[in-house]
Amino acid sequence: MDPTIFGFLLSDGLISGALYALVALSLVLVFAVTRVILIPMGEWVMYAPLTQAGFLEGRLPATVGLSALLLLVWAVLDRRRGRAPWLLAGWAVGVGLLGLAGVRWPSLAGPIAFLVVLPLGPASFRLFFEPLPQGSVLLYLILAVGLHFVYKGLGLAFFGPDQFRLPALWPGELGVLGLPVPGQGVLLVAAALLAMAGLFLFFTTLYGKALRAAAVNRLGARISGISVREAGRVAFLLATAVGAAAGLLAAPLTNASYDMGFLLGLKGFVAAILGGLVSYPLAVVGGGLVGLLEAFSSFYASAYKEAIVFTLLLPILAWRSLSALTLEEEE
Amino acid sequence: MSRAGLLGLVLLAALPWLVPPFYQTLLVFTAIAALVAAGLYLLTGLAGLTSFGQAAFMGVAGYTSALLAVRYGVDPWLGLLAGLAVTGLFALVLGLLTVRLKGHYLPLATIAWQVALFIVMGSWVGLTGGRTGLADLPPVRVLERALTDPRSYFYLAWGLALLYAGLLHRLVHSRHGRMIRALRGDAVAAASFGARPPDLKLWTFVLAALGAGAAGWLYVHFIRFVNPSPFSLEASIFYLIMAVVGGVQSLPGVFLGAALLTGLEQWLKDLLPLVFGKTGNYEIIAYGLILVGILLLAPKGLWPWIEARLPRARPPRPEGPGLSPRAASLADPLLEVRGLTKSFGGLLAVNRLSFEVRRGEILGLIGPNGAGKSTTFNLLAGVLRPDAGSVRFAGREIAGRYPFETVRLGLVRTFQHPHLFPEMTVLENAMLGTFPRTRAPLLASLFWLDRAEERRAAAEAYRALEAVGLAELAFEKAGRLALGQQRQLELARALAADPLLLLLDEPAAGLRAGEKRALAELIQGLRERGITVLLVDHDMELVMHLVDRVVVMHYGEKLAEGSPAEVQRNPAVVEAYLGGVA
Amino acid sequence: MRKRWIGLAVLLLGAALAQAEVRIGVTLSATGPAASLGIPEKNTLLLIEQGTFGLPKGVKVRFFVLDDGTDPTAAVKNTKKLIQENRVHLIIGGTTSPNSLAMIDAVAEAKVPFISLAAAKAIIYPVDAKRYWVFKTPQTDELMSKAVVEDMVARGIKTVAYLGFNTAYGEGWAKEFAKAAKAAGLQLVASERYSPKDTSVTGQVLKILSKRPDAVLIGAAGTPAVLPQRTLVEKGYRGQIYQTHGVANPAFLKVGGRFVENTLLPAGPILVAAQLPNAFPSKRPALTYIAAYEAKYGVGSYSTFGGHAYDAWQIAKGAIERALKKARPDDLAAFRKALRDEIEATHGVVGVHGVFTMGPTDHLGLKFNEAAVMVRVKNGNWVLERTFR
Repeated sequence: MDPTIFGFLLSDGLISGALYALVALSLVLVFAVTRVILIPMGEWVMYAPLTQAGFLEGRLPATVGLSALLLLVWAVLDRRRGRAPWLLAGWAVGVGLLGLAGVRWPSLAGPIAFLVVLPLGPASFRLFFEPLPQGSVLLYLILAVGLHFVYKGLGLAFFGPDQFRLPALWPGELGVLGLPVPGQGVLLVAAALLAMAGLFLFFTTLYGKALRAAAVNRLGARISGISVREAGRVAFLLATAVGAAAGLLAAPLTNASYDMGFLLGLKGFVAAILGGLVSYPLAVVGGGLVGLLEAFSSFYASAYKEAIVFTLLLPILAWRSLSALTLEEEE
Repeated sequence: MSRAGLLGLVLLAALPWLVPPFYQTLLVFTAIAALVAAGLYLLTGLAGLTSFGQAAFMGVAGYTSALLAVRYGVDPWLGLLAGLAVTGLFALVLGLLTVRLKGHYLPLATIAWQVALFIVMGSWVGLTGGRTGLADLPPVRVLERALTDPRSYFYLAWGLALLYAGLLHRLVHSRHGRMIRALRGDAVAAASFGARPPDLKLWTFVLAALGAGAAGWLYVHFIRFVNPSPFSLEASIFYLIMAVVGGVQSLPGVFLGAALLTGLEQWLKDLLPLVFGKTGNYEIIAYGLILVGILLLAPKGLWPWIEARLPRARPPRPEGPGLSPRAASLADPLLEVRGLTKSFGGLLAVNRLSFEVRRGEILGLIGPNGAGKSTTFNLLAGVLRPDAGSVRFAGREIAGRYPFETVRLGLVRTFQHPHLFPEMTVLENAMLGTFPRTRAPLLASLFWLDRAEERRAAAEAYRALEAVGLAELAFEKAGRLALGQQRQLELARALAADPLLLLLDEPAAGLRAGEKRALAELIQGLRERGITVLLVDHDMELVMHLVDRVVVMHYGEKLAEGSPAEVQRNPAVVEAYLGGVA
Repeated sequence: MRKRWIGLAVLLLGAALAQAEVRIGVTLSATGPAASLGIPEKNTLLLIEQGTFGLPKGVKVRFFVLDDGTDPTAAVKNTKKLIQENRVHLIIGGTTSPNSLAMIDAVAEAKVPFISLAAAKAIIYPVDAKRYWVFKTPQTDELMSKAVVEDMVARGIKTVAYLGFNTAYGEGWAKEFAKAAKAAGLQLVASERYSPKDTSVTGQVLKILSKRPDAVLIGAAGTPAVLPQRTLVEKGYRGQIYQTHGVANPAFLKVGGRFVENTLLPAGPILVAAQLPNAFPSKRPALTYIAAYEAKYGVGSYSTFGGHAYDAWQIAKGAIERALKKARPDDLAAFRKALRDEIEATHGVVGVHGVFTMGPTDHLGLKFNEAAVMVRVKNGNWVLERTFR
């Protein structure tokens, strides 16, 4: 294989890998704290750029209404908790105002879209997962699938079946070792590494450790003064932030449509599992691995590319499983 | 079969004559889905292995039959046999890889080969007709009649579904079934009673795949068209959803789930355009919301939710003869330990330990913390392999043998933390103890040939429950027992294995004074039944008043041996307990 | 006394009128991967239902529209429901080839005529006992491939590469194009695949570039067709890029932007209706259709896929009118058979994709030179490049 082609495939694989890594990070984060495998994350990754596209076309995207609605429902559910309902209602109003701002000033569409999509995560946790604190991983998984259907269906209703093209934050290309690499791709890789470092450090802080404790032993955590509920909401919020950012950064390279989320989520999930669903650096490595495998198999045998990627996964899984010292409770 | 069951069957058989043709079609699809969901009941609900790959197995069997029919004119019935054979083969190979994976790696592996198989089905156009598919498949024929109308196909599909469900029901209520369920909660405990986890898991995997294969065959010869779409990852997820929403841990649950979700799909198609007008496409949103709603309301699934509100009949007391008792051993001492040694890395945990347990006695093994008692215990039980030394039990050398081997010889242990299976009843938990004493192979269990043995095992276990005082609670779920009762159940399970030597691991831990006294009486009673006991515990008062002889360990070595009085007077022992830094 | 007679007469009249109802069942893919094809079809059917394109005289027409989510199983379930529950006289739909193929058995079993909106030739060929009941309106992949190959040959192209969907659509094109190219002496140097949801096709494009083809054909539909073209252009490909008629909708142009400038594609005449020579038969109906569609759904919103539904209706409408002379709608079996016969007898019906003349061995009825034109994308618009007349 000639070195230019190799270089292109390498850079393509790493850029795709960065996207998968970001999704993987958000999945690991949520799982580590709440034991939920957050399948709808794929949809939210797409919602961010799709919302941005809506603003850019001068429309008020329905995501604004959805976010505000979920926040209001949350406020009603928590109506007896002191100031919380007021804060939440205020947040809902804020989202509405942001929406209007996005229509008025489309140059800010990206960050506004990010802020509009952000509440979806913690609100979904509060409405659908928090009421079932003792669920098994399988139960949470099926719940997540149900939510995936809802968000995907809403995505079609809000945005239609077509893809949207989005402007790049860093247009044009850089020369990296003699190879033209899209600037946006560099941003994506940088974001993945940053997020990995950030999450890794965050979970070494006391607060981060407390979040993890909440997942491992609920009763113990509560006795130690850690709110399991709050842990879940924070985790979902952080994860949605990572996912939305990933979507916004990747969309100029890949276009965005309502149905691309599931496959992204799946590949991110694969990467996350390669990290044992607990390790951030390994999840990023996993993402890179999946991206590279994909890039090279699409060169050699494009019709079977997914089959190759997934089949090659099997020996890796076997190896990881054998080297796993302790297993989480078999569920 | 119960009267309710018979009535249900009659109603089902009459159903196609009572409903219009389209509903007959839906019922056929329900049966097909139920076949797959039933496989998930076994695999996921009971054995705890979450699989995202059942639709791929449907595809393997479906395509096998379709290709044989289209290319070689093979009759669909032969296609069924071929399809099941090929599916079984695939399941065996994939299973060998998959079932040994731990934790989350297992579901991901199922996703991996599900996607891989799906892509191959679609991309190997020359073999399978690719994504466009193969049309004009022949229908199933029975005695010259082609089963093309939904009514006749209804009987075929439901016949297969009920047959499979019947097989599974039999399996679950047999010795293998109990072991499979035990594996899910606690592989260690299950192994201590003779289960070989990888074998059992592989069997459940293959059985579940065969159910899916039969469903795939039914599907392709009903629609008489095959393409990869119905065998995708999304489809696998749908079947998993059906099983979980209905209640994945029960057969009625998965059937309910299959019927409910098949019907829901159609019902939404009728209802939503009326509410939202024709231009919208909101079915999937409604579907998702309903799914989420059901799970929030009934997290274990709809069937358990319904069942909890139905009146329940009390099953009859198991009576009759128990299992054949083990031949008593004349060996004395019953257990001889010579030079037993074990180190972990640089730490010498047990150092040339030698002692013996005489037939019919109660021996206590004590020592300060870190003395090596637990390690010794695990060495004797077969959980750990000794580095050196010999252990002779009833005249046989057993050092290094696995627990499932020694348990067959009559060396039975209990656990410090009760390793019970909360979803099974008290009686079923106790029956687990009989596993090494029963022999019926898996196939015999499937086809009803083990009834006699089952009855005797149940009677045996019931008597063990009576011996420990738990017979009243025989049909309660074990998860509802208090700690003291859990210990009693552990003991009953051990008794059901007809032990020659019983190894008790801290049986008094966590018990209150009254419970400890009751326990001591129980253990005394064991001696009267001819059981020898070796017990490890920290409660000095209990041990000293209960045992005949004591072995004291310290720093991995035997410090003293003798009657309780002798040992209490031994100055070295006193110093070890009071002087040493624990 | 008089009131009672009037009441009875009204009742009888009502009954008679109520029975003279023709029911048409529709199952199409308004959601799922083929949504960009199914939604314009559905929109067209809603217009038809409102009578925008005329209704058959002397009878009431009722539509039952169901979505199958691009899933063949759902398509079959819908078909059975429409036939058995709604007791329809005619089925239109089956947006994708697998869906239509799966539906064949159901309609043949129940002896209900079916007009398919999918591409594969296998849906209607050969006309055996089952396909006796099946017709279709879209051009076959074979026909469109022929258009592409003829154009390529005329431009002196010798080597060509194919990059298409790994779905039934891409698969059909791959097969037919390979056949047509071989017959015309073109050399197919690469045949790669990608998934509509892929985020990158760099590998496939690099493979193709390494073979240096004169032209590349992208076998895709809707906006996902942009990604490979964009990648080709970004990686410096300078040869001619062809797309298929699956991209003939406005979203493709919007998302493609400058990357799809100069693309050539075969399309039904409706795509460039206004630019057709006046003698071109489909021009008038196409302009009428476009005007009506845009009036309801917005300027520039029409797509060629909606046109297939329109054509199906033109055929059905005429057939219904003729069949009413031979049988009554309330005699289900007889009317279904009569309708089938009249559809087969379609002669010279001018649709937006060509002129339909069917027969016992031809259940499509389109002629190559009236059903396909070559279109080029210029300045973000569809521009007629050539016809084949």
